[in-house]
Amino acid sequence: MMSLVWKLLRQHISIAQLAGFFFANLFGMFIVLLGLQFYNDVKPLFSQEDGFLKPEYLIVSKRISGVSVLGSEESCGFSDREVADISSQPFCKSVGAFTASQYRVVCSMGVNGVAQFGTDMFFESVPDRFVDTELSNWTFSPEDGTIPIILPRTYLAIYNFGFAQSQSLPKMSEGIVGMIDMLVVLRGNGQEQRLKGKIIGFSSRLNTILVPESFIQWSNAKFAPEADLTPNRLIVEVKNPTDDAIVQYINEHNLELEDDKLDAGKATYFLRIVTVLVMCVGMLISILSFYILMLSIYLLVQKNTEKLRNLLLIGYSPVRVSLPYQILTVGMNGVVLLLSLLILYVVRSYYMDRLWVMFPQMQDGSLWPALCLGLCLFLIVSTINIVAVRNRVMKIWNRKE
Amino acid sequence: MDKIELQNTLPCVFEGREVQSEIWLQDVTFQKGETYLVEANSGTGKSSLCSYIIGYRKDYLGNIYFDGKDIRQHSVSDWTNIRKQTLSLLFQELRLFPELTAMENIDIKNGLTNHKSRKEILAWFERLGIADKQDAKIGRMSFGQQQRVAMIRALVQPFDFLMVDEPISHLDDNNSRIMAEIMMEEAQRQGAGVIVTSIGKHMELPYTKTFRL
Repeated sequence: MMSLVWKLLRQHISIAQLAGFFFANLFGMFIVLLGLQFYNDVKPLFSQEDGFLKPEYLIVSKRISGVSVLGSEESCGFSDREVADISSQPFCKSVGAFTASQYRVVCSMGVNGVAQFGTDMFFESVPDRFVDTELSNWTFSPEDGTIPIILPRTYLAIYNFGFAQSQSLPKMSEGIVGMIDMLVVLRGNGQEQRLKGKIIGFSSRLNTILVPESFIQWSNAKFAPEADLTPNRLIVEVKNPTDDAIVQYINEHNLELEDDKLDAGKATYFLRIVTVLVMCVGMLISILSFYILMLSIYLLVQKNTEKLRNLLLIGYSPVRVSLPYQILTVGMNGVVLLLSLLILYVVRSYYMDRLWVMFPQMQDGSLWPALCLGLCLFLIVSTINIVAVRNRVMKIWNRKE
Repeated sequence: MDKIELQNTLPCVFEGREVQSEIWLQDVTFQKGETYLVEANSGTGKSSLCSYIIGYRKDYLGNIYFDGKDIRQHSVSDWTNIRKQTLSLLFQELRLFPELTAMENIDIKNGLTNHKSRKEILAWFERLGIADKQDAKIGRMSFGQQQRVAMIRALVQPFDFLMVDEPISHLDDNNSRIMAEIMMEEAQRQGAGVIVTSIGKHMELPYTKTFRL
């Protein structure tokens, strides 16, 4: 019997109008969802949290000018008095010194036991309490002979885009760095020792090759017992990194703050603006298409007023005669949602492939944000549709049409 | 529902006019099981009366009660149930669906309550002489044929009262007689009251009471 009602009420349905709504809404919905999804996928690249350094940790060094390079060496390092002065500042919670290796380090790396390249390098350490990693990973004992290492994230980029490309080596993501074999040779004080290195992660805030403090103490004592250990850089834990007093102190004492957050912040800001703009355009298209649908349905109800009225007069309830149009609109909204999610899925896997080539460390993310937003929009629009159709039918019931 | 009462009822458009009527501005009761004739001249508000009682229009003064309940108090679902279960109306303008066939027009109503079997419906088609028209679109049938379809549609539901608004205006005497027979058979089976309106030719029935509108 419902099919008879439908047979009646589908009269005057304009395929052209509904198709117009359908494609406009599909387009709008897709843009809105794409905007959100892209923003969510790309955002982590800009605001990657550093797993090893908390945001309250600042890295402070002396500003290097031509004079200080040519002048006395100690002006580049921090004296005990200067360290004490910083730790006495009200914004400061605690201070730790960077300690550098004072002997020669040669390191060669390879994959699957085949050595690929070797280089001279150095190590630095900070007190272990500043390194935010599991302590079991961050220890060194001479018997074991494996050095845990944290590298600057830029090294990975240099390897992936400079080195790997030109040497036709495989690109590497952060997840598989554990596969890198690292052989470290330490020389000094007339001794030489071979150790294994193990990269446990990357940091975008540290411009150094970081190893545990216990390793530096052991190795400096063994290979360079007489070296001067004046620190060049300090790591400072502050109460509030946005405190103005920090900037003031830094400027007054001719110090420098290593800060990589600023550029990322700007980029995120622009990314957000662009995303909001794109989503607004999509939303506008969606709203206009929604308007087309409402007009189309109103027109349909208008043209079928007499049929609707007769159905009501022979005992059909308003709920029952509203149902076909409600199913029609909600069904179309549903199909639009599914299709736009499907298109989004295809487009997303395309751009994600591209992004992976450029940023191998990118995480997979998920479609959940777009899915949730799409569902919300679907629910809101469908509810309005259902209520609007019902109101129209009640107008007929009340003889206002 | 056992009775329909009209108390001082008057269409709003007649307000302030001299009205000579046995219905308007009177206290009138229609009882279940009885048969009534409402005779009217054109423009005396016959169709308005039907519209008030079926709950389609409310532009009247005074009150109408179903079993003592003012019908202005009825909710939307009350009215839906009344139209489905209690009160059946054969509209003067028929209100059939021209896009559907004769049988589909019956089915769309019978489907609400499944009151009559296909066999019973076909028997009525047969007796009214439109058996060959059951699959014809209503829009292609004459008004007289449509009137017979509309009568069948009015009968495929349970009812306590049946109102028929000028049911035989386009029928010959033979068909009028058959229609009256079918109508009264069904009304008696259901123990229902029947209210027939007419502006001239009317069904020959044993009326309990005749009102001049």
